[in-house]
Amino acid sequence: MTSEFGIKVEGVSHSYAGRQGAGTLALKETNLEIARNEFHALLGPSGCGKSTLLYLIGGFIPVQNGVIRTPAGEVHRPGPDRGIVFQNFALFPWKTVLENVIYGLKKQNRSKEECEERARHFIKMVQLGGFENHFPSQLSGGMQQRAAIARTLAVDPDILLMDEPFGALDAQTRRVMQEELRSIWRNSRKTVVFVTHDVHEAVFLADRISIMSARPGRIEHEIETGLGLDRDDSVIESKRFIELSEQIWRLVREQAISASRGEH
Amino acid sequence: MSGGNVVAPQGAEIRIGKTGAILIQIGVVVAIAVIWEMSTRLGLAHPFLLPPLSAVLGRLAEDTMSGSVFLDLTLTLYRALTGFFIAAALGIPLGILMARQKLFGWFFEPLISIGFPMPKVAFIPIFILWFDIYDTSKIIMVVFSCFFPIVMATYAGTKNVDKWPLWSARSLGTREGQLLWEVILPLASPQILTGLQIALPVGMITTVVTEMLMGGRGVGGAMIQAGRFADSVGVFAGIIEIALLGMVVIRALEMLRARLLIWHPEARH
Ligand SMILES: Nc1ncnc2c1ncn2[C@@H]1O[C@H](COP(=O)(O)OP(=O)(O)OP(=O)(O)O)[C@@H](O)[C@H]1O
Ligand SMILES: [Mg+2]
Repeated sequence: MTSEFGIKVEGVSHSYAGRQGAGTLALKETNLEIARNEFHALLGPSGCGKSTLLYLIGGFIPVQNGVIRTPAGEVHRPGPDRGIVFQNFALFPWKTVLENVIYGLKKQNRSKEECEERARHFIKMVQLGGFENHFPSQLSGGMQQRAAIARTLAVDPDILLMDEPFGALDAQTRRVMQEELRSIWRNSRKTVVFVTHDVHEAVFLADRISIMSARPGRIEHEIETGLGLDRDDSVIESKRFIELSEQIWRLVREQAISASRGEH
Repeated sequence: MSGGNVVAPQGAEIRIGKTGAILIQIGVVVAIAVIWEMSTRLGLAHPFLLPPLSAVLGRLAEDTMSGSVFLDLTLTLYRALTGFFIAAALGIPLGILMARQKLFGWFFEPLISIGFPMPKVAFIPIFILWFDIYDTSKIIMVVFSCFFPIVMATYAGTKNVDKWPLWSARSLGTREGQLLWEVILPLASPQILTGLQIALPVGMITTVVTEMLMGGRGVGGAMIQAGRFADSVGVFAGIIEIALLGMVVIRALEMLRARLLIWHPEARH
């Protein structure tokens, strides 16, 4: 395997400005290297800085300390090479589902017909066929989430940042979406950073899993899943899957407990 | 009485529906008309102080036939709308600039805050001195009074746009220069429209008051004229004209809002 990198996070700290003087230190000296085309899952207790790390990689908030690099160069601002699915969907409320998905496609060199065809394809893929002309305010949370996923996948970014992208879905839909995502990743070779609270989801999807410490967040453990490139549903019953899930769950729990101790 | 009617107040509202609501609104207008007519017929009010509705409507019909109603209404509407649109053309860009350019914000914020609550009618003598007593100063008065609510609403709406759609757009390849048209304005449009909806009646009121103070044709001028001649029927005819004109214009803007904001949760209940 070549050691070509996909994302390099080097000594990145981030503190949010507080109301008076003392800010919130969300990330402390975080280091993380993700290989090109790697599917990387990020686990950690609530409030440990997972979203913050994604926003930094996405270039939405300025890097205060340290450096973040991608094959396209040092990260300073958002760009279409790094697609993101936000935890709160962040759809354009004045656009229909179809218009939302087409928006990013129009920024690329694609014909009008191709934009529409591609948008419809991804809307079908996230099972929103028939809702093309609905506005986000007419959709349930889970449907909005799927529309946001379609919008990001459609523009085919090299790096995919996903912040609990299936959090609002029922178990059934979630499983279908996981398989779709895995097969897209398998076919188009993207670097994925996938934030989740669901240990099984992380193990099922990822090549490698990072577990973050409680706030201020750092990468505390990194684990290879080693479950192979081609997995189907049956992998869930494998011994490796079950043991790995158990081990990771224990590590996450440790961090969550230290998080609850840290709170005053 | 049966016990099944306990939930009536809430349930009734839903069951009445759209036609029912319109019927009730018509009913209210009819009731006011009947009370007005009856109170003069029965001698409860002096016909000079409160002329019977039938006389007022008769006058309106006469003026409609002669065409003088249309002249007054058209003039008043022309002044109100011209002033309103000029105020929007100035106020919306300024509000956006204030929100987007710190320097503009710092400079204009205090000026707008001082100007907003000031009674604009106090400026009529100044405008008469500076301009004339004809259309120019009337329209400038309307611009002046419509300007502040429009700037304030645009400023607030543009300044407080949700960052998430902005972030989405930037990560999808939108350049900084495109954000204003493609994302910020659509997001701020509900508040900008609210500003316009506040400004329009203010503009109508200012038009009529200015016409009353400066004289000449127009609904306000015609009412003052009628008052001078102790023509109480004419005064009341003017009030009804203004009320109808105001209602039509404001409803039109409401319909425009409903059209433009079909995406907004407010469009559904
Ligand atoms: N805009 C902000 N201003 C101030 N503090 C913030 C802001 N956003 C996040 N924080 C703080 O930074 C810390 C990390 O937040 P972040 O959203 O990255 O956590 P997270 O790991 O994504 O949590 P969750 O799993 O609940 O989504 C939190 O403790 C929070 O208090
Ligand atoms: Mg988060």
